[in-house]
Amino acid sequence: MLKSPKLILFAALLASVGMSCSENKTKPEPEPEPQVKPRYVIASAPVGSQGVADYLLTTDDLTQGTISTIGQGIEQDGSYRYYLSHKGKFFSLLYGQGNPGAVTTYRLDDRGKLEKISDFQSETVQVFTVVNDEILTIKVPRSGNESASCFRINTENSQIVGEKQVNIVKLAGNGERAHFTWAKQVGNKVFAPYMSIKGCCSDVFGTAYPDSSWIAVFSYPDLTLEKVIKDNRTSYIGAYFNNGLAVDEKGDVYGFSPAGATNSGARTSTKPSAFVRIKKDATEFDKSYFFNVEEKSGGHHISNQTYIKDGKFLLYMYGNKNATTGARKLAIADVYNQTFTWVTGTPAEISSSSASYNNNTVSDDGKTVYIGLNTAEGSWVYSIDVAGAKATKGLKVEGGQITAIVRVK
Amino acid sequence: MLQAQSRDNCTISGIVKSTEGELLVGASVYLVNSSKGVFSSESGRFTLGNLSAGSHTLRVTFLGFRTVEKKIELKAGENLRLDLALEPDAHQLEDVSVIGRSEVREANRQSFNVTAIDAARLHNSTLDLSHALDRVSGVRVRENGGLGSRINFSLNGFTGRQVKFFIDGIPMDNFGSSFQLNNIPINLAERVEVYKGVVPIWLGSDALGGAVNIVTANNQRSYLDASYSFGSFNTHRTTINSGITTKSGFTFQLNAFQNYSDNNYRVTVDVADINTGEYFRDQRVRRFHDNYHNETVIANVGVVGKKFADRLLVGVTLGQNRAEIQTGARMVSVFGQWYRKGNIVMPSLKYLKRDLFVKGLDVTVNANYNLGKEQNVDTVYRRYNWFQQYKQYVGLGSERERSLYRFGNNNGLITANVNYRINDKNTATINNVFNTFNRKGSDELFPQEEKYDLPKINTKNVLGIGYKYDPNEKWSASAFVKYFHQWNKYSQSYNPSGNWGDVAYMVQENTFNEVGYGVASSYYLFPNLQLKASFEKSYRLPETDELFGDLINLEGNIELDPETSYNYNLGFDHKGKFGSKHRYSFNGNVIYRDARGFIRARLNNNQTKQVMDNLADVTNFGLDGELRYSYGQLFTAGTNLTYQNLRNNTRYEEGYTIVSPLYRDRIPNMPFLFGNTDASFFFKNIANTKGTMLSVGYNLLYVHAYYLYWPSLGNDKLDIPRQLSHDANVVYTLKDGRYNISLECKNLLDSRLYDNFSLQKPGRAFYLKVRYFVSK
Repeated sequence: MLKSPKLILFAALLASVGMSCSENKTKPEPEPEPQVKPRYVIASAPVGSQGVADYLLTTDDLTQGTISTIGQGIEQDGSYRYYLSHKGKFFSLLYGQGNPGAVTTYRLDDRGKLEKISDFQSETVQVFTVVNDEILTIKVPRSGNESASCFRINTENSQIVGEKQVNIVKLAGNGERAHFTWAKQVGNKVFAPYMSIKGCCSDVFGTAYPDSSWIAVFSYPDLTLEKVIKDNRTSYIGAYFNNGLAVDEKGDVYGFSPAGATNSGARTSTKPSAFVRIKKDATEFDKSYFFNVEEKSGGHHISNQTYIKDGKFLLYMYGNKNATTGARKLAIADVYNQTFTWVTGTPAEISSSSASYNNNTVSDDGKTVYIGLNTAEGSWVYSIDVAGAKATKGLKVEGGQITAIVRVK
Repeated sequence: MLQAQSRDNCTISGIVKSTEGELLVGASVYLVNSSKGVFSSESGRFTLGNLSAGSHTLRVTFLGFRTVEKKIELKAGENLRLDLALEPDAHQLEDVSVIGRSEVREANRQSFNVTAIDAARLHNSTLDLSHALDRVSGVRVRENGGLGSRINFSLNGFTGRQVKFFIDGIPMDNFGSSFQLNNIPINLAERVEVYKGVVPIWLGSDALGGAVNIVTANNQRSYLDASYSFGSFNTHRTTINSGITTKSGFTFQLNAFQNYSDNNYRVTVDVADINTGEYFRDQRVRRFHDNYHNETVIANVGVVGKKFADRLLVGVTLGQNRAEIQTGARMVSVFGQWYRKGNIVMPSLKYLKRDLFVKGLDVTVNANYNLGKEQNVDTVYRRYNWFQQYKQYVGLGSERERSLYRFGNNNGLITANVNYRINDKNTATINNVFNTFNRKGSDELFPQEEKYDLPKINTKNVLGIGYKYDPNEKWSASAFVKYFHQWNKYSQSYNPSGNWGDVAYMVQENTFNEVGYGVASSYYLFPNLQLKASFEKSYRLPETDELFGDLINLEGNIELDPETSYNYNLGFDHKGKFGSKHRYSFNGNVIYRDARGFIRARLNNNQTKQVMDNLADVTNFGLDGELRYSYGQLFTAGTNLTYQNLRNNTRYEEGYTIVSPLYRDRIPNMPFLFGNTDASFFFKNIANTKGTMLSVGYNLLYVHAYYLYWPSLGNDKLDIPRQLSHDANVVYTLKDGRYNISLECKNLLDSRLYDNFSLQKPGRAFYLKVRYFVSK
């Protein structure tokens, strides 16, 4: 299908005249060199009210230049898609309103471009994470069905190799539902923090239990529920479709809570937004550790996190004091020393940012991390100097807002 | 009134015919300001006896025709013989050619951009209304699948609720799923009028970009039209339309229809392994969970031609439907148990009186109330694949969203239309449409939900005032103003104290008041060339789902504003002939739509549900045209083509200070170039048998390919491929149309057709239809 025969003809003419006069305003996707530098996939979605699909662009330089989805990029089907890279492959998952759909698997070809290698059928899932050589996904029904479905996906042949049902009403044990916010491999187990939700009554995400944290501990690969770890110093860990846990180099687990539980639309958590810890090999919260981020930040709640290195986190904070909705601000936190520093150099108003749960762009030395920031003026990739907590504007992304930046590795 | 009754003993007798010479049965013939009146008989005859001598005014009225009045002078004992010819009235249509789609008659001088389908000509086909409409320029009906599947109607780029549907001028807004375009057989309609862009005042209601009015056969005569068809995919359809009108003016009408299909047509699809998710490519499989059936009865009883009413009918529409759901939005999502069902229980009242109190004052009042319910049944905890294999899970679950949610919208409607023909040149019209809505729903699986689901109530009123001026035979002009009013009441639960478990209800109320207006004019440049121009500033008030949500994936937004559009139309209509046998017609339209604040879905604040918002501005510059030719009574052929240039006119997206990269981009996932071509031959008196006819027809549908998402973005893109669908039919009729038998083949070349991305439509299918029609 052609947009316009005349346009195509014109484009063909231009091309035949030679490259000298085809100087575009936006530079085309840079021709990649042989795989030495890290290669990133940028997902960008148009801003609009219909026909909103992601486009995937690839680049190896996030620090400068311009890249655009206008006439470029691989279109992804479905309004919401989510990405994950593991074992050198790039997975594009559909979020399709409870319907099953296709997961597309890509790899980088020798020119560093995405090349589709297969697709397979998957459920719409709310949790996806890497465990050993596999991907674990969990479909978590917010109402109706009483069981969450866990799927183990083999990354070699892109096939489901195991499935397990978990009754989340029984798991919650309080008349509500245990809604997994995310899952994280910890040693040879999988930790899945959850929020307790009513799952009904025009207030699906409301809860009568706003001041507790829970983590379900599963064995792997048989996904047997071993125990539930509970704590009452803050609220649930993570957030809907967000990763609340990180494992540091020592094997200790840190988890944050936004303290954002609601009931009938009003926030009801009385405990502060904070980090809690589970020591390596333990399956209890470390009662001696509590990092009250809300207090340190002057009343701000944590929204999301990306773990950097050596106890340092990039935090996506709610911009307004005491708010758990609205614009975000960035901060660097050190969970070892319990220090908190606002990141400088970011735009004054951030409309949205690239996803935190699949942000694997931390440089190998742990000194830099990248984030896509969308503003009223447009979208840019910022590089954040971790030590100085300073953001620097880099690659401009035209045509839409950045939804994800994923390094393929 | 007690004056000399029979002393003079005069009579008037004669025959009532149409100007085309057709005998009119049941026309009301009476003397003005007297109690004398009769109906024309089965042979069109009438006799008025026992009349006094002197001057009288004889008036003849018949639905669908212009009222005729004659001043007569009777001498004592005179037996006056008087034959009368009635002209089809303003909304009546004339055939352009022997057969096929009719256009608005030259004489009716409707200034609107309107196309009419002469449905009666299609009564031997197995089309339902949606397929008949799909052959009108400017119209595209997109289907998700086979019989009874969800359809998306678009008219000049306006879709869904932006286009309003009427049946005999009564809005069909909330008839529920049991009485809809995709299940109403063509035989129910006499004709279907498609108003593009500007909707005449007498249709009332709030349409953003046009209206479709289904006109049923409501002649006051006795008739029976019964048909049955069966065909591929175990499809069975029956239609019975009958009516009887006695000499005393008692009338009874019964319409009943039934559709049944397994829709088990073959599709080519990637089938997922039920356990591993691995796809088996390009498998040819049958659909297996797509059964659809509906049964509907419409009964009306009443009187015609009485002093107090030309027509007064009390009726009820009863119906039900059940539809299995085979797929989600993409064909790889496959279901095996989930279904929905609904019913309609709708009492109605129809009243018509011409010349109420004063000559020329016609009053119409219609009312109905739908008590019907809709239900979604998804309670089987399985996952299917296209090989019909499934995994059965333990516990309470579903295929998509566990639900037995059942709701009724309790929708009431009253419309009133007052038309006053002041004289030949001036007509004034007042129209009012009043809607009520009170949704009540519950889910037996989740009884506790009910208390949170407080009543959602709204009322809507659209008042229109119009004026029509016809200074001469050539020129006609009309202007109208519409006043839109909507009141919504909505209760939302919230937490007043912040303490858990504390629930209170916030009652929100809001009101819109908007004024729309329009003008339409037509002018005969030559007797066979009519020019038309019209303009409307239209509004579409938010629907109840959009305001209140649907409790599943859509959150309510009580703040929604009405959508608005400036609609401009310019058109011409030319008919001509050369020689005695060659006739042709040619018409074309240029349209421009400037629509603002389209109601579209976006994600809500915590990204868990969709919420409707006034988001997009869209313009459409469109062209459509139709050319038709016929040769005597032997052959007819026509073609139409529509091009629409729908562009995103949202310069700044909300929250952005830079111009949207999609500003002026073509609206995606919307057909922009499409058309139909048809041809038919008619052979009369087959094998020297009088009253027989054999016709052979062919129709080609063309839809240009279009992108699923924004055209300017990406270089590796998804699209909806070009459609070319060939349909053919053979009809044999005996006894001047009393017995009919027809054979149809749809999608002759067995092409893979898509209206929506990935959702494959049926392949080649055959249908046989037998029909019996008799009228007196």
